[in-house]
Amino acid sequence: MTEPVMKLKNVKKTIGKKEIIKGLNFDIYGGEVFGFLGPNGAGKTTTIRMMVGLMNMSAGDVLIKGRSINKEFKEAIRHVGGIVENPEMYPFMSGWKNLVHYARMMPDITEERIIQVVRLVGLENRIKEKVGKYSLGMRQRLGIAQALLHNPSVLILDEPTNGLDPSGIREIRAYIRELAEEEGVAVIVSSHILSEMEMMCDRIGIIKNGELIAIQSVTDALQQTDEKEVSIEAAPVDEAKAALQELTGRNVQLNGNVLTFTIEKEMIPKVVTDLVHKQIQIYGVHANRSTLEDKFLDLIGEGVIE
Amino acid sequence: MSNFFQLIRNEHMKLYSQKATWIMAAILVVLVIGMGGLFKIDEAITGGEVPTGDNWKEELQQQNEQLMSQEGQAQEVAYPGYTNVEENQYRIENDLPPTEYNAWDFVRDNRGFVALVSLFTIIVAAGITANEFRWGTIKLLLIRPISRTKILLAKYVSVVIYALTMLVLLYVLSFIIGVIFFGMDSFSQTYVYNQAGEIKDAGIFAFTVSQYMLSFVELIMMATFAFMIASVFRNTSLAIGLAIFLMMAGSSIVLFFMNKEWAKYILFANTDLTQFMEGTPMVADLTLGFSITVIAVYYLVFLLLSWFFFTKSDVAGS
Repeated sequence: MTEPVMKLKNVKKTIGKKEIIKGLNFDIYGGEVFGFLGPNGAGKTTTIRMMVGLMNMSAGDVLIKGRSINKEFKEAIRHVGGIVENPEMYPFMSGWKNLVHYARMMPDITEERIIQVVRLVGLENRIKEKVGKYSLGMRQRLGIAQALLHNPSVLILDEPTNGLDPSGIREIRAYIRELAEEEGVAVIVSSHILSEMEMMCDRIGIIKNGELIAIQSVTDALQQTDEKEVSIEAAPVDEAKAALQELTGRNVQLNGNVLTFTIEKEMIPKVVTDLVHKQIQIYGVHANRSTLEDKFLDLIGEGVIE
Repeated sequence: MSNFFQLIRNEHMKLYSQKATWIMAAILVVLVIGMGGLFKIDEAITGGEVPTGDNWKEELQQQNEQLMSQEGQAQEVAYPGYTNVEENQYRIENDLPPTEYNAWDFVRDNRGFVALVSLFTIIVAAGITANEFRWGTIKLLLIRPISRTKILLAKYVSVVIYALTMLVLLYVLSFIIGVIFFGMDSFSQTYVYNQAGEIKDAGIFAFTVSQYMLSFVELIMMATFAFMIASVFRNTSLAIGLAIFLMMAGSSIVLFFMNKEWAKYILFANTDLTQFMEGTPMVADLTLGFSITVIAVYYLVFLLLSWFFFTKSDVAGS
């Protein structure tokens, strides 16, 4: 790959005698969505705060487009847009004024650009209203708008789908993918929800107790997963169970009307076709937890904070 | 430099988008009008009759003789606004005729409201940084290509602009209300006052303006103190509380330590610069130069502490 847009070099944070972040090293490249995953208290937010210079690091450095956030703050931060924790805005001003406020703090942002960003996040009808009246989802959108004003090379979003309804989540997800793929933006997304990360990230870094314990490419992981747990709702259920056991040669569990078993992914269509041939009614087929999720859960363990 | 101007614009937009800012201005307006009404109704405050005729010198002389003969007793005089023998004498000798209570006197009396302007400025100064932490907006404010020093300076300058605005509002409003209620004499009216035992006179406009400007020093010191506490502790209420407490208790603190050697180094012994203009300094051996030096040292310490804590500390979780 090319030069990384953001580079963490042995980033450490010590508060008192306790080492909260124990030397993080990783690179993030343009055009990828990087997921930052970990249980609450693992150090995600602390790391993000150090990335954007809100917190001083005890050791190490973060380079953004080759510029050190410690030594060349202004040159480094101008490539970054972000939301840290909740999208907190001035509640007594309109969404528009909030955006104007941040636009004034960065060079060369025209009114057209603000309008463009507002349209992008779909707030044009409510932008003149006071932010105090916004729902969390609307504030989340305004937060994203604010982060995009200056066309950043790195977009850092802390829990971006927090408080959004399902259609909002889908929209934001699609939008993040588009930014990465079409504009070449490096997007860093933090979350503690794995399924969400799996759907929008290219790579996922897992942090636990201040250490990066793994970086996993999502596509690789999915290709490796040849086996899936599958649930099928079918009737008559006993006949279906017998048929499935015969077809797969494996143990099939029965729970109400739902039959659960493990099978290679490519086999799923064949099993369904066979069941249909046997005149069994199928009401639903569902692929459950992937082994990716199992893998992550194994890595994270019980999520105990030491 | 241009983005510094933009930062000031931002601070003003935020300040004047908050209802509290307008409520404070409205309180000031209502109180000044109310005070005008009260003075209009109650002649005892405005000094009643004044010898303004051609033979004012004789009348004032008569009053002086009366005052001296009755020394130590309750006095019933014709002109309650002119009961200071020395000042009356000064007027007679220097041919400075007395004037009836008018807009200028009202402006001069309303200098007391500077305390209210101080209070409002303390509230603004305490909130301008600490509220960003309370709202959580500090995180979005500090991830811009602008140094923290510049952001802090823009906030401080905005506080000073606010204080000046309110002070000018107070002065101009007092004058307008004064003209409406009491009429105006002329810009050349002369004010006679006693400075540490010496009688002096000054043009009323120059006198009131310099009085307001000197009160501004005390105001800015308290506001800067509140600003410093807010930057260090990031807590609006603490900053407002401490600053108001010190503003109220300031002179008591000085009185309490009056006979200590170091009393003159207490900030509050020095902040009231008008004591060098009219009246007598609180602590005996104070001079204007000394007070200015003490004030300047405190001022620099306040600003340095604000700067150090604002620029160096982590913005940690809320």
